[in-house]
Amino acid sequence: MTSITARKSAPAAGTTPGAAQAPPRPAAGRPPLRHRIALLPTAALVLGAVYCLLPVAWVLVAATKSGRELFSTFTFLPGTGFTENIADLHAYRDGIYWRWMGNSAFYAGFGALLSTAVSAVSGYALALYRFPGREAVFKVLLAGVLMPPVILAVPQYLLLAKVDLTDSYLSVLLPLLLSPYGVYLARIYASAAVPADVVEAARMDGAGEWRIFTRIGLPMMVPGLVTIFLFQFVAIWNNFLLPYIMLGDDEKFPMTLGLYTLLAQGSNTPALYTLVITGALLALLPLIALFLFIQRFWSLDLLSGAVKS
Amino acid sequence: MTTTAPRANATAAAVRRSGARRGRSAPFAFLAPAAVLFALFFALPIGYAIWLSLHKVEVKGLGLGKGARSEVWAGLTNYTDALTDSELLDGALRVLGYGAIVVPTMLGLALLFALMLDADRVRLTSVTRLAIFLPYAVPGVIAALLWGFLYLPDVSPFYYVLDALGLPQPDLLDGGPLFFSLSNIAVWGGTGFNMIVIYTSLRSIPAEVYEAARLDGCSQFQIALRIKIPMVAPSLVLTFFFSIIATLQVFAEPTTLKPLTNSVSTTWSPLMKVYQDAFGNGDLHAAAATAVIIAVVTLALSFGFLRAANSRTQQGEPR
Amino acid sequence: MPFTLRRRLVATTVAGLLGATALTACDSSGDESAAPAEAGPAALTYWAWAPGMDKVADLWNKGPGKESGITVTVKKQASGDDLVTKILTAAKAHQAPDLVQAEYQALPTLVSNDVLADISKEVEGVEEKFAPGVWQQATLGTDAVYAIPQDSGPMMFYYRQDLFKQYGLTVPTTWDEFAETARTLKEKAPDKALTTFSANDAGLFAGLAQQAGARWWSTEGEKWKVGIDDAATRKVATFWGGLVKEGVIDNQPMYTPAWNKALNTGEQIAWVSAVWAPGTLTTAAPDTKGKWAMAPLPQWSGGAQATGSWGGSSTAVTNDSKHKAAAAKFVTWLNTDPTALAALVKESGIYPAATAAQTGGALSKAPDFFSNQPTFYAEAAAIAKTTAPSAWGPNVNVAYTTFRDAFARAAKDKTDFGAALRTMHDTTVADLKKQGFGVAE
Repeated sequence: MTSITARKSAPAAGTTPGAAQAPPRPAAGRPPLRHRIALLPTAALVLGAVYCLLPVAWVLVAATKSGRELFSTFTFLPGTGFTENIADLHAYRDGIYWRWMGNSAFYAGFGALLSTAVSAVSGYALALYRFPGREAVFKVLLAGVLMPPVILAVPQYLLLAKVDLTDSYLSVLLPLLLSPYGVYLARIYASAAVPADVVEAARMDGAGEWRIFTRIGLPMMVPGLVTIFLFQFVAIWNNFLLPYIMLGDDEKFPMTLGLYTLLAQGSNTPALYTLVITGALLALLPLIALFLFIQRFWSLDLLSGAVKS
Repeated sequence: MTTTAPRANATAAAVRRSGARRGRSAPFAFLAPAAVLFALFFALPIGYAIWLSLHKVEVKGLGLGKGARSEVWAGLTNYTDALTDSELLDGALRVLGYGAIVVPTMLGLALLFALMLDADRVRLTSVTRLAIFLPYAVPGVIAALLWGFLYLPDVSPFYYVLDALGLPQPDLLDGGPLFFSLSNIAVWGGTGFNMIVIYTSLRSIPAEVYEAARLDGCSQFQIALRIKIPMVAPSLVLTFFFSIIATLQVFAEPTTLKPLTNSVSTTWSPLMKVYQDAFGNGDLHAAAATAVIIAVVTLALSFGFLRAANSRTQQGEPR
Repeated sequence: MPFTLRRRLVATTVAGLLGATALTACDSSGDESAAPAEAGPAALTYWAWAPGMDKVADLWNKGPGKESGITVTVKKQASGDDLVTKILTAAKAHQAPDLVQAEYQALPTLVSNDVLADISKEVEGVEEKFAPGVWQQATLGTDAVYAIPQDSGPMMFYYRQDLFKQYGLTVPTTWDEFAETARTLKEKAPDKALTTFSANDAGLFAGLAQQAGARWWSTEGEKWKVGIDDAATRKVATFWGGLVKEGVIDNQPMYTPAWNKALNTGEQIAWVSAVWAPGTLTTAAPDTKGKWAMAPLPQWSGGAQATGSWGGSSTAVTNDSKHKAAAAKFVTWLNTDPTALAALVKESGIYPAATAAQTGGALSKAPDFFSNQPTFYAEAAAIAKTTAPSAWGPNVNVAYTTFRDAFARAAKDKTDFGAALRTMHDTTVADLKKQGFGVAE
């Protein structure tokens, strides 16, 4: 009981590392029990974190190495070239890296936003309405992931070529707007988070279906939707094959594709490893920031609880 | 399960009552954007891919100059070619072995971490949550370099440690260990993603659900086992479903290790064969046929799983 | 009303998009009608992966391009086999750029898919600027000209001068001596290897076969003849397979972090490579600067002088281009004009295919990494003249992929390379037949 109160009274706990480390605020007169740390789970999580961070740490360490040090010093020994690498990356073709970064942010941000919206309405409809063919619609949408994306990229290109949309920003955005994974996830979250009686009560009050969705359904689905947004953002951010096929103009390239051009410069030109590693490291930063920003929305059960009662 | 079932039933009942009267068209309107996008960017390309798989290019003579190539009806020859290619079957077997390691490990860890993040009195949750998710965000562009530095004996710090301890040094890029090296990349990259899916589900469980259990004196462990896991069952089904698909379409991990070793061929997994046919050999027709075969197998396995999971869930329901 | 607003927004966006495309369409049609045959004013796009190509194009745009009204925009791409598929896909939708950079061995595939334009009329007289072996790759042995050679990669033997001295090794002039050198080194320093046999780049093996006199593809009338498993190539395969089996050279792939380290620490003390090796060594083995030297490739018989080529590319005009004459004009300038070639050497680090540009100018000074060998480029030019002709067919990609898989397995298991070569040959022939090409047995 008390732990629940603690969780409810501090929905933002765990938003930032600092907050997580601060002792939990004592709630209404209950015991020092909570001051104990659950050692085993904490240790397991830390172990998991170390396992996951080790290869990421390599990216960090490698980005500090100069081209000279990269292949010659011990793998995890930090180097001396970090600022120089950044400067080189910045100078490369008049700072085109930042343009790629901006393109990636546009593709991922805009794409994830629209994709989340599509997932939200679809998932909500599939979870809260019962209509003929519901399961069929759902299964057909899911079946969309069965065909490997590798084989869809070329037909998608030829299709967009018919309307003269290849080599445009839209050509990378449009095919990614529908994410069967997102729809499935939204459906699960909607059926778990939006109680039918609340929807029904709103209907009794004469609210329209769209209004019920935006005013009642949507807020309750927020924790799930931010997750979908996060996934879609990262998926588009790191997507490679679709932009590779769609785009010819390197000014429109996303970061992944841009860095790839530094790696594959032809057999007679060595790859610019240090720039690529540094670029990949910098590309992680926006994703970390996004994650830290988004995780505060995962504690909104308080809000949905309030709407329910 | 018992806890969700009544509510799910209530949902259905309530919607049936009023949904019949009003808003009959609402769900279709809500699904319209997805339907249009699906038709354009999934159905049409899939249809085109199937069309491709039934055709082939026919070349005349030297194949130089205009009109030397034409697309002709091929019937099922692309399919019979693919199915009689022993490399495809070998690839499928390799992928099954790989999936047998990856799927249970990755999802087991994801569930474990999600439950621990959600448990009480656990510290450092924010840092560890981010840390475990981070591999998912590392762009694939540098993957080969990254794993080269960690797996290749001459540069790997692990070999360095093994050497210092006088332990035997297995070849991580050959034979049995290769499967673990590949699986490790997948587990490393996918655990955080699945953990977040399950964790978000856990967070959306209303806190009141636990109250009764707690008042009954259930331990954290019991709550996790008896209440939390059943309640996130839909998310577990989701992660399983998509993990099966991801396994059958595995491409990134072996492609990452390919340049580092003689042991990973260009057709190590079926999807690598598709890619090789389409982007290495420029034979979209053969690639499409193989892709359709993969899709059909994936359909059977993943939807078979979904059906099994659903019937189990329904059996679990009291009413 | 918000609805109207939204609709208007959509309409504007669509109009914008249509406007943009309509604009380019107008541009091209206008130009075409103005000067259909002449190299009139035109805006060309160029897909290339060589670094600094945009700067070379700028020189054109500010100089000769300005006079003729032809501007070229470079869109930098990533090189590799998948770029060929990308070009094929774009060509299928008639959206290929005007100009593409293409590796020599990709030309038959591109021609066979009707992607490249025959520019023989536009580039008359250009032929003499190139060595016949190089030029023939751009014509596929026909009367047509499908591309203009840009850079070439004559092969050479690179070795660690200091370590050769230390172990009392002499620079091998024949492949027999090469094998002896490998054995001697293994005896004297068991933890070192002369070099590695890498299965991850078929280009190297193709170059070695070319040196031995192989002709993997040739035409007999209206039929292709595949000669991958010919005597010359078999000799090369058996030779390397024997060395791997003996264990006197390594069998791990090139271009991995471990390979870089092996070069940097002197674990491998030689590399069979091409003229562009100094750049790669600068990145891979930075600590060995000034310790390497370059020599001609070992020969199959004493006194012979032949080399193969590894790498190199050409510039081609596509059939989708509405300004083929203008494009051909630029291509000719890019690959034959002294100013352009000097810029290509400086900005893109290429080794020019045009013979006149292989000495003097930017190439009068040895690469920094080889400052100990001041005559580097003079020697390179002499070697380049001995390049044996190479012959490519329409399914080089299939042969290369099969090479990679079959030879990787053979190298790993240290089994017979001859069997791997047979696999490569048979798969290539089977693929040609499957596609319907005429195949001479």
